[in-house]
Amino acid sequence: MQKHRITAIVCFAGALVASALAGASFLSMRKPDLIVRGPGVTEKKMLSEWFSGLKGTAGDTEVYVMRGSDDGASMLILGGTHPNEPAGHLAAILFIENVVPRTGTLYVIPRANASGFTANDPQEGAPQRFTIQTPNGPRVFSYGSRATNPIHQWPDPNVYIHASSGQTLSGSETRNLNRGYPGRPDGTLTEKVCYGIVQLIRQQKVTITVDLHEASPEYPVINAIVAHPKAMQLASDTVLGLEMQDIKISLEPSPVNLRGLSHRELGDFTDTLPVLMETANASQGRLRGRTDEALVLTGKDKWYVRAAKLGRLYVPYDEHGHPLEERVGRHVTAISELMNSWNLEHPEMPLEVEGVPDYEGLLTKGVGAYLLPPK
Amino acid sequence: MFYVYLVILAVVLALTVWVLFDTKKLSLQITAAMVIVPLLLRLLMIK
Repeated sequence: MQKHRITAIVCFAGALVASALAGASFLSMRKPDLIVRGPGVTEKKMLSEWFSGLKGTAGDTEVYVMRGSDDGASMLILGGTHPNEPAGHLAAILFIENVVPRTGTLYVIPRANASGFTANDPQEGAPQRFTIQTPNGPRVFSYGSRATNPIHQWPDPNVYIHASSGQTLSGSETRNLNRGYPGRPDGTLTEKVCYGIVQLIRQQKVTITVDLHEASPEYPVINAIVAHPKAMQLASDTVLGLEMQDIKISLEPSPVNLRGLSHRELGDFTDTLPVLMETANASQGRLRGRTDEALVLTGKDKWYVRAAKLGRLYVPYDEHGHPLEERVGRHVTAISELMNSWNLEHPEMPLEVEGVPDYEGLLTKGVGAYLLPPK
Repeated sequence: MFYVYLVILAVVLALTVWVLFDTKKLSLQITAAMVIVPLLLRLLMIK
Protein backbone atom coordinates (compact mmCIF):
# COMPACT_ATOMS: atom_id res chain seq x y z
CA MET A 1 0.00 0.00 0.00
CA GLN A 2 1.22 3.50 -0.80
CA LYS A 3 2.50 5.54 2.12
CA HIS A 4 -0.06 8.32 1.73
CA ARG A 5 -2.87 5.75 1.89
CA ILE A 6 -1.59 4.50 5.22
CA THR A 7 -1.37 8.01 6.68
CA ALA A 8 -4.86 8.76 5.34
CA ILE A 9 -6.29 5.73 7.12
CA VAL A 10 -4.53 6.73 10.33
CA CYS A 11 -5.83 10.31 10.10
CA PHE A 12 -9.35 9.12 9.29
CA ALA A 13 -9.33 6.70 12.21
CA GLY A 14 -8.11 9.53 14.45
CA ALA A 15 -10.98 11.74 13.28
CA LEU A 16 -13.50 9.00 14.05
CA VAL A 17 -12.06 8.40 17.53
CA ALA A 18 -12.03 12.15 18.27
CA SER A 19 -15.64 12.43 17.03
CA ALA A 20 -16.72 9.51 19.21
CA LEU A 21 -15.07 10.94 22.33
CA ALA A 22 -16.36 14.46 21.74
CA GLY A 23 -19.82 13.16 20.79
CA ALA A 24 -20.10 11.11 23.98
CA SER A 25 -19.08 14.14 26.00
CA PHE A 26 -21.65 16.40 24.31
CA LEU A 27 -24.42 13.78 24.53
CA SER A 28 -23.81 13.39 28.27
CA MET A 29 -25.07 16.94 28.75
CA ARG A 30 -28.53 15.89 27.56
CA LYS A 31 -29.10 13.95 30.77
CA PRO A 32 -31.01 16.28 33.13
CA ASP A 33 -29.58 17.02 36.56
CA LEU A 34 -30.99 15.15 39.53
CA ILE A 35 -33.58 17.20 41.41
CA VAL A 36 -35.06 15.55 44.51
CA ARG A 37 -38.72 16.14 45.29
CA GLY A 38 -38.80 17.89 48.66
CA PRO A 39 -41.52 17.64 51.32
CA GLY A 40 -43.38 20.66 49.93
CA VAL A 41 -43.79 19.40 46.36
CA THR A 42 -47.38 18.35 45.75
CA GLU A 43 -47.18 17.77 41.97
CA LYS A 44 -44.56 17.60 39.28
CA LYS A 45 -45.91 18.68 35.91
CA MET A 46 -44.50 19.66 32.54
CA LEU A 47 -44.83 23.08 30.95
CA SER A 48 -46.58 21.42 28.01
CA GLU A 49 -49.59 20.94 30.29
CA TRP A 50 -50.15 24.68 29.92
CA PHE A 51 -49.13 24.85 26.27
CA SER A 52 -49.39 21.59 24.34
CA GLY A 53 -47.20 22.92 21.53
CA LEU A 54 -44.16 22.14 23.70
CA LYS A 55 -44.98 18.47 24.20
CA GLY A 56 -42.18 16.22 22.98
CA THR A 57 -39.82 19.13 22.26
CA ALA A 58 -36.49 19.99 23.87
CA GLY A 59 -38.16 23.08 25.31
CA ASP A 60 -40.61 21.21 27.51
CA THR A 61 -39.53 21.48 31.13
CA GLU A 62 -40.50 20.44 34.65
CA VAL A 63 -42.82 22.58 36.75
CA TYR A 64 -42.81 21.74 40.47
CA VAL A 65 -46.10 22.69 42.11
CA MET A 66 -45.94 23.30 45.86
CA ARG A 67 -49.42 23.91 47.23
CA GLY A 68 -50.04 25.02 50.81
CA SER A 69 -52.87 23.67 52.91
CA ASP A 70 -54.68 27.03 52.78
CA ASP A 71 -55.42 29.32 49.86
CA GLY A 72 -53.32 32.42 49.37
CA ALA A 73 -51.18 34.21 46.83
CA SER A 74 -48.97 32.38 44.35
CA MET A 75 -45.43 32.81 43.11
CA LEU A 76 -43.60 31.49 40.05
CA ILE A 77 -39.85 31.04 40.50
CA LEU A 78 -37.87 30.78 37.26
CA GLY A 79 -34.36 29.32 37.54
CA GLY A 80 -32.17 28.43 34.58
CA THR A 81 -33.48 31.06 32.19
CA HIS A 82 -29.78 31.35 31.33
CA PRO A 83 -28.18 27.98 32.12
CA ASN A 84 -24.71 29.54 32.48
CA GLU A 85 -25.94 31.43 35.56
CA PRO A 86 -25.89 28.67 38.17
CA ALA A 87 -27.02 30.62 41.24
CA GLY A 88 -30.51 31.05 39.76
CA HIS A 89 -30.76 27.37 38.86
CA LEU A 90 -29.59 26.28 42.33
CA ALA A 91 -31.77 28.74 44.25
CA ALA A 92 -34.81 27.28 42.48
CA ILE A 93 -33.64 23.75 43.38
CA LEU A 94 -33.19 24.73 47.03
CA PHE A 95 -36.82 25.86 47.10
CA ILE A 96 -37.96 22.56 45.58
CA GLU A 97 -35.94 20.46 48.03
CA ASN A 98 -36.47 22.45 51.24
CA VAL A 99 -39.51 24.70 51.28
CA VAL A 100 -43.00 23.77 52.47
CA PRO A 101 -45.78 26.31 51.77
CA ARG A 102 -48.40 26.87 54.48
CA THR A 103 -50.65 29.23 52.54
CA GLY A 104 -50.65 29.87 48.82
CA THR A 105 -48.87 28.07 46.01
CA LEU A 106 -45.35 28.04 44.62
CA TYR A 107 -44.63 27.08 41.03
CA VAL A 108 -40.93 26.42 40.47
CA ILE A 109 -39.34 25.90 37.07
CA PRO A 110 -35.66 25.13 37.80
CA ARG A 111 -34.63 24.67 34.13
CA ALA A 112 -36.63 27.36 32.34
CA ASN A 113 -34.54 26.95 29.19
CA ALA A 114 -34.17 23.16 29.30
CA SER A 115 -32.58 23.11 25.85
CA GLY A 116 -29.86 25.50 27.02
CA PHE A 117 -28.72 22.95 29.61
CA THR A 118 -27.89 20.41 26.87
CA ALA A 119 -24.91 22.37 25.52
CA ASN A 120 -22.53 25.07 26.60
CA ASP A 121 -21.31 28.10 24.74
CA PRO A 122 -18.52 27.53 22.22
CA GLN A 123 -15.22 29.37 22.66
CA GLU A 124 -15.91 30.20 26.32
CA GLY A 125 -13.83 27.41 27.85
CA ALA A 126 -16.59 26.88 30.42
CA PRO A 127 -16.89 23.59 32.29
CA GLN A 128 -19.77 21.32 31.28
CA ARG A 129 -20.76 20.73 34.88
CA PHE A 130 -19.77 21.46 38.46
CA THR A 131 -19.91 19.39 41.63
CA ILE A 132 -21.27 20.37 45.03
CA GLN A 133 -20.29 18.29 48.03
CA THR A 134 -23.19 17.36 50.29
CA PRO A 135 -23.33 15.31 53.52
CA ASN A 136 -24.69 12.48 51.36
CA GLY A 137 -22.03 12.61 48.66
CA PRO A 138 -21.40 14.78 45.61
CA ARG A 139 -24.20 16.26 43.49
CA VAL A 140 -23.40 17.26 39.92
CA PHE A 141 -25.08 20.14 38.07
CA SER A 142 -24.89 21.26 34.46
CA TYR A 143 -23.25 24.51 33.44
CA GLY A 144 -25.11 25.16 30.23
CA SER A 145 -25.39 27.75 27.51
CA ARG A 146 -26.90 31.21 27.82
CA ALA A 147 -29.23 30.35 24.96
CA THR A 148 -31.23 27.53 23.42
CA ASN A 149 -29.08 24.75 21.92
CA PRO A 150 -28.67 25.50 18.17
CA ILE A 151 -29.27 21.80 17.54
CA HIS A 152 -32.85 22.48 18.69
CA GLN A 153 -33.33 25.87 17.02
CA TRP A 154 -31.51 26.72 13.83
CA PRO A 155 -30.61 28.82 11.89
CA ASP A 156 -30.23 32.16 13.64
CA PRO A 157 -31.39 35.09 11.53
CA ASN A 158 -28.96 37.91 10.82
CA VAL A 159 -31.21 40.20 12.83
CA TYR A 160 -33.62 39.05 15.53
CA ILE A 161 -36.89 40.95 15.39
CA HIS A 162 -38.91 40.75 18.62
CA ALA A 163 -42.37 39.74 17.46
CA SER A 164 -44.66 41.95 19.52
CA SER A 165 -42.57 45.16 19.47
CA GLY A 166 -40.48 45.02 16.29
CA GLN A 167 -37.32 45.67 18.33
CA THR A 168 -34.18 44.47 16.56
CA LEU A 169 -31.30 42.66 18.22
CA SER A 170 -28.37 40.58 17.04
CA GLY A 171 -29.40 37.30 15.43
CA SER A 172 -28.20 35.01 18.22
CA GLU A 173 -30.60 36.69 20.66
CA THR A 174 -33.37 34.77 18.91
CA ARG A 175 -32.36 31.84 21.17
CA ASN A 176 -32.28 33.94 24.36
CA LEU A 177 -35.29 33.05 26.53
CA ASN A 178 -35.13 36.43 28.22
CA ARG A 179 -35.59 38.26 24.92
CA GLY A 180 -38.54 36.22 23.70
CA TYR A 181 -41.46 37.15 26.01
CA PRO A 182 -44.42 37.12 25.70
CA GLY A 183 -43.67 34.44 23.10
CA ARG A 184 -45.73 33.03 20.27
CA PRO A 185 -47.51 29.68 19.94
CA ASP A 186 -46.27 29.35 16.35
CA GLY A 187 -42.85 30.95 16.86
CA THR A 188 -39.39 29.50 17.41
CA LEU A 189 -38.77 26.94 20.15
CA THR A 190 -37.57 29.72 22.45
CA GLU A 191 -40.70 31.78 21.78
CA LYS A 192 -42.85 28.72 22.45
CA VAL A 193 -41.23 28.25 25.87
CA CYS A 194 -41.90 31.93 26.63
CA TYR A 195 -45.49 31.46 25.50
CA GLY A 196 -45.83 28.37 27.73
CA ILE A 197 -44.62 30.32 30.77
CA VAL A 198 -47.06 33.13 29.98
CA GLN A 199 -49.90 30.59 29.71
CA LEU A 200 -48.97 29.12 33.11
CA ILE A 201 -49.01 32.61 34.66
CA ARG A 202 -52.37 33.44 33.09
CA GLN A 203 -54.14 30.16 33.78
CA GLN A 204 -52.89 29.83 37.36
CA LYS A 205 -53.31 33.57 38.02
CA VAL A 206 -49.78 33.76 39.40
CA THR A 207 -49.45 36.74 41.76
CA ILE A 208 -45.66 37.27 41.68
CA THR A 209 -43.05 36.03 39.18
CA VAL A 210 -39.34 35.96 40.06
CA ASP A 211 -36.78 35.39 37.30
CA LEU A 212 -33.37 34.46 38.76
CA HIS A 213 -30.21 35.52 36.93
CA GLU A 214 -26.54 36.28 37.32
CA ALA A 215 -24.43 38.90 35.59
CA SER A 216 -20.80 39.69 34.87
CA PRO A 217 -19.18 41.85 37.58
CA GLU A 218 -18.52 44.55 34.96
CA TYR A 219 -22.21 44.73 34.02
CA PRO A 220 -24.01 47.75 35.52
CA VAL A 221 -27.17 45.88 36.54
CA ILE A 222 -25.80 43.59 39.22
CA ASN A 223 -26.66 42.68 42.80
CA ALA A 224 -29.97 44.18 41.84
CA ILE A 225 -33.69 43.70 41.57
CA VAL A 226 -35.23 44.85 38.29
CA ALA A 227 -38.94 45.49 38.67
CA HIS A 228 -41.84 46.26 36.37
CA PRO A 229 -43.58 49.52 37.39
CA LYS A 230 -46.51 47.66 38.92
CA ALA A 231 -44.11 45.55 41.02
CA MET A 232 -42.05 48.56 42.13
CA GLN A 233 -43.71 48.95 45.54
CA LEU A 234 -43.19 45.27 46.31
CA ALA A 235 -39.58 45.42 45.12
CA SER A 236 -38.90 48.61 47.12
CA ASP A 237 -40.15 46.98 50.32
CA THR A 238 -38.00 43.95 49.52
CA VAL A 239 -34.86 46.06 49.06
CA LEU A 240 -35.48 47.73 52.43
CA GLY A 241 -35.93 44.33 54.05
CA LEU A 242 -32.68 43.07 52.55
CA GLU A 243 -30.78 46.19 53.56
CA MET A 244 -31.97 45.61 57.14
CA GLN A 245 -30.27 42.21 56.90
CA ASP A 246 -27.14 43.97 55.67
CA ILE A 247 -27.53 42.58 52.13
CA LYS A 248 -26.71 45.41 49.73
CA ILE A 249 -28.94 45.39 46.68
CA SER A 250 -30.06 48.05 44.23
CA LEU A 251 -33.45 48.59 42.67
CA GLU A 252 -33.71 49.17 38.93
CA PRO A 253 -36.86 50.08 37.00
CA SER A 254 -37.62 47.85 34.02
CA PRO A 255 -36.70 49.91 30.92
CA VAL A 256 -39.73 50.64 28.75
CA ASN A 257 -37.78 50.32 25.51
CA LEU A 258 -35.93 47.10 26.24
CA ARG A 259 -38.35 44.46 25.01
CA GLY A 260 -38.71 40.74 25.33
CA LEU A 261 -37.47 40.56 28.92
CA SER A 262 -39.45 38.89 31.69
CA HIS A 263 -39.60 41.96 33.95
CA ARG A 264 -41.13 44.01 31.12
CA GLU A 265 -43.33 41.69 29.07
CA LEU A 266 -44.75 39.53 31.88
CA GLY A 267 -45.93 42.74 33.52
CA ASP A 268 -47.38 44.15 30.31
CA PHE A 269 -49.05 40.95 29.06
CA THR A 270 -50.21 39.29 32.30
CA ASP A 271 -51.52 40.28 35.73
CA THR A 272 -48.45 38.98 37.58
CA LEU A 273 -45.98 41.24 39.41
CA PRO A 274 -42.64 40.43 37.72
CA VAL A 275 -39.19 41.00 39.14
CA LEU A 276 -35.78 39.85 37.95
CA MET A 277 -32.78 39.43 40.24
CA GLU A 278 -29.06 39.48 39.48
CA THR A 279 -25.97 38.35 41.40
CA ALA A 280 -22.25 38.60 40.48
CA ASN A 281 -20.92 35.62 38.52
CA ALA A 282 -17.30 35.91 37.44
CA SER A 283 -17.43 32.72 35.36
CA GLN A 284 -19.55 34.43 32.72
CA GLY A 285 -17.64 37.71 32.71
CA ARG A 286 -15.43 39.05 29.91
CA LEU A 287 -12.51 39.95 32.19
CA ARG A 288 -12.09 36.54 33.77
CA GLY A 289 -8.96 34.43 33.63
CA ARG A 290 -8.95 30.67 33.87
CA THR A 291 -12.50 29.36 33.56
CA ASP A 292 -13.11 26.16 35.44
CA GLU A 293 -15.30 24.53 38.04
CA ALA A 294 -13.44 26.31 40.83
CA LEU A 295 -14.29 29.71 39.36
CA VAL A 296 -18.00 28.75 39.18
CA LEU A 297 -17.95 27.62 42.82
CA THR A 298 -15.69 30.23 44.45
CA GLY A 299 -15.94 33.25 42.16
CA LYS A 300 -12.26 33.91 42.90
CA ASP A 301 -10.43 35.50 39.99
CA LYS A 302 -7.27 37.63 40.21
CA TRP A 303 -8.17 39.61 37.12
CA TYR A 304 -11.47 40.72 38.64
CA VAL A 305 -9.62 41.74 41.80
CA ARG A 306 -7.36 43.86 39.60
CA ALA A 307 -10.33 45.28 37.67
CA ALA A 308 -11.97 46.23 40.97
CA LYS A 309 -8.84 48.12 42.03
CA LEU A 310 -9.00 50.01 38.74
CA GLY A 311 -12.61 50.92 39.44
CA ARG A 312 -13.99 48.99 36.47
CA LEU A 313 -16.60 46.91 38.29
CA TYR A 314 -20.08 47.52 39.62
CA VAL A 315 -19.69 45.25 42.67
CA PRO A 316 -17.02 45.11 45.36
CA TYR A 317 -14.51 42.43 44.43
CA ASP A 318 -11.58 41.18 46.50
CA GLU A 319 -9.58 37.98 46.82
CA HIS A 320 -12.52 36.29 48.55
CA GLY A 321 -14.54 36.46 45.31
CA HIS A 322 -18.29 35.90 45.28
CA PRO A 323 -18.78 32.21 46.09
CA LEU A 324 -21.80 30.26 44.90
CA GLU A 325 -23.26 29.98 48.41
CA GLU A 326 -23.29 33.78 48.72
CA ARG A 327 -24.95 34.20 45.32
CA VAL A 328 -27.54 31.49 45.98
CA GLY A 329 -28.08 32.94 49.44
CA ARG A 330 -28.83 36.37 48.02
CA HIS A 331 -31.46 34.91 45.67
CA VAL A 332 -33.08 32.70 48.30
CA THR A 333 -33.17 35.48 50.89
CA ALA A 334 -34.54 38.00 48.39
CA ILE A 335 -37.37 35.64 47.42
CA SER A 336 -38.16 35.13 51.10
CA GLU A 337 -38.15 38.89 51.61
CA LEU A 338 -40.45 39.35 48.59
CA MET A 339 -42.93 37.06 50.34
CA ASN A 340 -42.59 38.97 53.63
CA SER A 341 -43.17 42.26 51.82
CA TRP A 342 -46.21 40.89 50.04
CA ASN A 343 -47.66 39.51 53.28
CA LEU A 344 -47.24 42.84 55.07
CA GLU A 345 -49.25 44.62 52.37
CA HIS A 346 -51.76 41.81 51.70
CA PRO A 347 -52.53 39.99 54.96
CA GLU A 348 -55.87 38.87 53.46
CA MET A 349 -54.06 36.79 50.79
CA PRO A 350 -50.73 35.70 52.22
CA LEU A 351 -47.99 33.54 50.80
CA GLU A 352 -46.41 31.81 53.77
CA VAL A 353 -43.72 29.15 53.62
CA GLU A 354 -41.44 27.24 55.97
CA GLY A 355 -38.00 25.78 55.50
CA VAL A 356 -36.32 28.52 53.45
CA PRO A 357 -32.53 28.13 53.88
CA ASP A 358 -31.21 31.17 55.74
CA TYR A 359 -28.45 33.40 54.39
CA GLU A 360 -26.03 32.89 57.29
CA GLY A 361 -26.60 29.14 57.16
CA LEU A 362 -25.79 29.05 53.46
CA LEU A 363 -22.63 31.12 54.00
CA THR A 364 -21.37 28.92 56.82
CA LYS A 365 -22.59 25.47 55.79
CA GLY A 366 -22.66 25.86 52.01
CA VAL A 367 -25.27 24.96 49.41
CA GLY A 368 -24.60 21.23 49.80
CA ALA A 369 -26.00 21.21 53.33
CA TYR A 370 -29.44 22.01 51.88
CA LEU A 371 -29.47 19.46 49.06
CA LEU A 372 -31.43 16.29 49.78
CA PRO A 373 -30.01 12.79 49.28
CA PRO A 374 -31.18 10.98 46.14
CA LYS A 375 -34.26 8.83 46.79
CA MET B 1 -34.80 23.58 4.65
CA PHE B 2 -33.43 21.39 7.43
CA TYR B 3 -32.95 18.42 5.11
CA VAL B 4 -31.36 20.59 2.42
CA TYR B 5 -28.88 21.70 5.11
CA LEU B 6 -28.11 18.08 6.00
CA VAL B 7 -27.58 17.15 2.36
CA ILE B 8 -25.15 20.07 1.86
CA LEU B 9 -23.37 18.99 5.04
CA ALA B 10 -23.13 15.37 3.86
CA VAL B 11 -21.69 16.46 0.51
CA VAL B 12 -19.05 18.67 2.19
CA LEU B 13 -18.17 15.83 4.54
CA ALA B 14 -17.83 13.37 1.65
CA LEU B 15 -15.59 15.79 -0.26
CA THR B 16 -13.42 16.28 2.83
CA VAL B 17 -13.00 12.53 3.23
CA TRP B 18 -12.19 12.26 -0.47
CA VAL B 19 -9.49 14.94 -0.14
CA LEU B 20 -8.06 13.14 2.89
CA PHE B 21 -7.58 9.94 0.90
CA ASP B 22 -6.62 11.61 -2.38
CA THR B 23 -3.91 14.03 -1.28
CA LYS B 24 -0.31 13.04 -0.76
CA LYS B 25 0.44 15.96 1.58
CA LEU B 26 0.42 14.87 5.22
CA SER B 27 -0.40 18.40 6.44
CA LEU B 28 -3.53 18.45 4.26
CA GLN B 29 -4.54 15.02 5.49
CA ILE B 30 -4.27 16.16 9.11
CA THR B 31 -6.26 19.31 8.30
CA ALA B 32 -8.97 17.26 6.59
CA ALA B 33 -9.15 14.93 9.59
CA MET B 34 -9.66 17.90 11.92
CA VAL B 35 -12.39 19.32 9.65
CA ILE B 36 -14.21 15.97 9.62
CA VAL B 37 -14.85 16.06 13.40
CA PRO B 38 -17.25 19.07 13.57
CA LEU B 39 -18.90 18.13 10.25
CA LEU B 40 -19.63 14.63 11.49
CA LEU B 41 -20.91 15.84 14.87
CA ARG B 42 -23.26 18.28 13.14
CA LEU B 43 -24.43 15.71 10.58
CA LEU B 44 -25.39 13.43 13.47
CA MET B 45 -27.02 16.43 15.19
CA ILE B 46 -24.89 15.96 18.28
CA LYS B 47 -23.29 19.41 18.41
